[in-house]
Amino acid sequence: MTRLTKFARPATSLVIYAVLAALIVVPFLSFLAMSFFSVEGVTINRTPTMGNFIRAFTDPVMMSVFWRTILLCGAIAFVTTLIAYPVAVFINGLQGVARYVLLTATTAPLILSYVMKIYAFRSILGGNGLLNRMLLATGIIDTPSSFFVFNLNAVFLVLAVLLAPFAILPILLSLEKIPAALSEAAADLSASRWTIFRTVTVPLSRPGIATALSFTFIMSIGDFVTPQMVGGPNGFTFGRIIYSQFGLAFNWPFGAALGVLMAAVIVVVLALAMRLGRVPGGASR
Amino acid sequence: MTRSLSAQVGLALITALLLIAIYGPIGVTVAGAFLPMKGGIIQSFTPSLAAFGKLSTDTGLIRSLMMTLAVGAVATVISVMLATALALFSTERGGTHARVVTLIVFLPFVMPPMVTGLSLLIFFRDVGIDRSLLTVTIGHVAIILAIAYRGIAVRLTDLGRSQIEASLDLGASRWQTFHRVILPNITGSLAASALLCFALSFDETLVTLLLTGTESTFPIKLWGMTRLGITPAANAILAILLALTLAGSALAIGLRRRSQP
Amino acid sequence: MSSKVPSKLLELRSVGKSYGTAQVLKDVDLKIEDGEFLVILGPSGSGKTTILRLIGGFIAPSQGEILLDGAIINDLPINRRPFNTVFQDYALFPHMTVRGNVAYGLSVRGVPKAEIVARSDKVLALVSLGPLADRYPAQLSGGQRQRVALARAIVCEPRLVLLDEPLAALDVNLRRQMQVFLKEIQREIRTTFLFITHDQEEAITLADRICVMDHGKIMQIGAPRDLYDRPGSAHVARFFGDNNLIEGRILSVAGGRATLDTPLGTLVACCDPSSGLADGDSAFLAIRPEKIRILAREDPCPDDAAALGVTITRKEFAGPLTHLSFVPDAAPSILLSAKRLSDEMALLSLGEPGLRACWGISDTWVVRA
Repeated sequence: MTRLTKFARPATSLVIYAVLAALIVVPFLSFLAMSFFSVEGVTINRTPTMGNFIRAFTDPVMMSVFWRTILLCGAIAFVTTLIAYPVAVFINGLQGVARYVLLTATTAPLILSYVMKIYAFRSILGGNGLLNRMLLATGIIDTPSSFFVFNLNAVFLVLAVLLAPFAILPILLSLEKIPAALSEAAADLSASRWTIFRTVTVPLSRPGIATALSFTFIMSIGDFVTPQMVGGPNGFTFGRIIYSQFGLAFNWPFGAALGVLMAAVIVVVLALAMRLGRVPGGASR
Repeated sequence: MTRSLSAQVGLALITALLLIAIYGPIGVTVAGAFLPMKGGIIQSFTPSLAAFGKLSTDTGLIRSLMMTLAVGAVATVISVMLATALALFSTERGGTHARVVTLIVFLPFVMPPMVTGLSLLIFFRDVGIDRSLLTVTIGHVAIILAIAYRGIAVRLTDLGRSQIEASLDLGASRWQTFHRVILPNITGSLAASALLCFALSFDETLVTLLLTGTESTFPIKLWGMTRLGITPAANAILAILLALTLAGSALAIGLRRRSQP
Repeated sequence: MSSKVPSKLLELRSVGKSYGTAQVLKDVDLKIEDGEFLVILGPSGSGKTTILRLIGGFIAPSQGEILLDGAIINDLPINRRPFNTVFQDYALFPHMTVRGNVAYGLSVRGVPKAEIVARSDKVLALVSLGPLADRYPAQLSGGQRQRVALARAIVCEPRLVLLDEPLAALDVNLRRQMQVFLKEIQREIRTTFLFITHDQEEAITLADRICVMDHGKIMQIGAPRDLYDRPGSAHVARFFGDNNLIEGRILSVAGGRATLDTPLGTLVACCDPSSGLADGDSAFLAIRPEKIRILAREDPCPDDAAALGVTITRKEFAGPLTHLSFVPDAAPSILLSAKRLSDEMALLSLGEPGLRACWGISDTWVVRA
């Protein structure tokens, strides 16, 4: 600990905490507060009520969308991580320039426009889009498929591909941390390559897997642009409903309550991820 | 440990498929810059630079780009400075202070941008601030602060407390210590954080959508265009961005190889 | 030793430090004399580093006062105390050259450039780092970095140089060289050095005075020889080098000598007349292994000495010296040790009967149990 004159110390603490409060803490508190208010016409009634939450839990449509969204995002997280893992393993096995090039190739797309990528996907996935025409041309299907046209499948595919780099990176980072000496020791003890992978690599990369899963889940559940663009009428997610409360539907308190619900889900996911990501023996990320 | 050939090929295949999927839409976008497209279908295969030409006349697009750069620059500068102050505070005080600060800073980062955006939206309404580029900038700062904070805090921890103590021990004032010992050693991570923050702010869509007023940034303009169709000029911009990113990465690879024997 | 009257430079009065419920330092009274090489010796957790950090100003005392030239400096911030520290990890500024590091303390105080250059050069020459002045810390060896850290501290001509286990990271040979080096430098610049270590050999080599610490309290302060020959407690007696401690009860005390009743019989030993030892107290008789002679049957034992019949149980050749374990015939359960020149011990063998251990009374010392 370094020493300051007795006056300066509490003053700097105050400033720091004031800035943090104004920028982050107070807005979150207002968000929380709003969820307990209600709407009357165009004005907001600030008497606290549990109405919004009650409505959220009792409205069957709301609940079905809620659970469907959780299922969807869970599936996205799972599938994306599943694909990301072998890719991370592959990159980890490369050295030098090849490694760096491939790493850049996987992460560079993140820099490019989010909206544009979804838009491009929309045209690719459309009835007359690139995907269908390729499938027709190669004879895999006879008529254009509407499997990915404006529904949750489209949302699923787009988000999985978009978020893949976010899953690859943490897994790669945790793979890198595993000392090569461990696989050598396992081999020395006559373990096969697959056994080494199963009993050494995967368990030790648990923190990375947990991060990939939670990251992907959180990012997909909070995304309301993708469902809006490729989801169509059949692709309503929880995020879209929340967004519309702040737009056309104009029910800020209800929207806030739904948002609180979403935040609660995320906290649970984060807690689960922390538990999952703990490597037995104490080593953590 | 060498991998079997079949395993290596299999992994390479999966990687290749994923990369094709990832670059598919990017390819389509770039194609749209050089080939006339209608509704996503290529009209003709003769490349032209007409789209790039239209770029100079599309004032709305240019303006939104300018706004994006402005917001990005301001948000980056504020975030990096704030992050440095916060990181110094945490590193020096340690213990509970550091934990509290870290928790608060990472809150908007861990929550989906939607939640952070909504919080700020409600907050601004409560205090009577209208939505504008200012609110957008503040929203960006909230989101990207954690990135800058993490980068700088890690570097400060590496630097070690004893350097700061040594400087004070030798009679330097706190400002001198910051200026002559800390700053020179964190320029690397400051630059990297700034770059990352700017990149994140440039393409930030979710928070911006919620906090934007009449002026819009480039992603919002694109969002608005998705209904009627994205103009080729926008494709042209993205093609340029891609080229810049590739050039930048190549440069980074080149620099790295030179500094590592 | 010098004949001048030592003047008090720094004083710690009833200083204590606690972290929450853990009391790291308790009621420490310490007076540091101007120009001395004081070593604070103790195991980890003894509080020795805490004393250094309190003096340097990096932490504040929970109780007590720190006085410089008689004035209380508890609230004086780090950068205003006229002390400089050599840190355990050296804390060299990686982005500055050796010269830059050494000049730092002067340049932040606004010393004119010409003077900075002159003083830095002088100190760099003193630590033999002149030719390396333009290198960066990353390009130096551990020993070289150590010298830069020292140079950086002494160029500011502080009243006190604080050294926090600076030699801990060096290998044995280099450490010995640096010990000699530090001692010479201190003598030459005549600045007070406060040196922290857990290595007792190092303490004995370097110190004008040693302050032995244990569990946050000062056990004894004194010149190395005094601590070695006349320890104030069983703890200090054991702490320095090997020692034989024979349990006993005091029968009488008179004129600097005590008579004790021990399992080996009645023994006489020297004691500190002012230590307050009284009849009936439990005490230890301390006799250093190198002071015990093992004699064959016919060899005489001098006057004013104790003699016991003993049997050798173990003999270990250790180069110039041989270590012996032996037991007194009168009390075979007590194990004692002796260290003699190997030539002397060559003729004696294990289990040989009729041997005697012999030591001079003046080589003994009584410590309270």
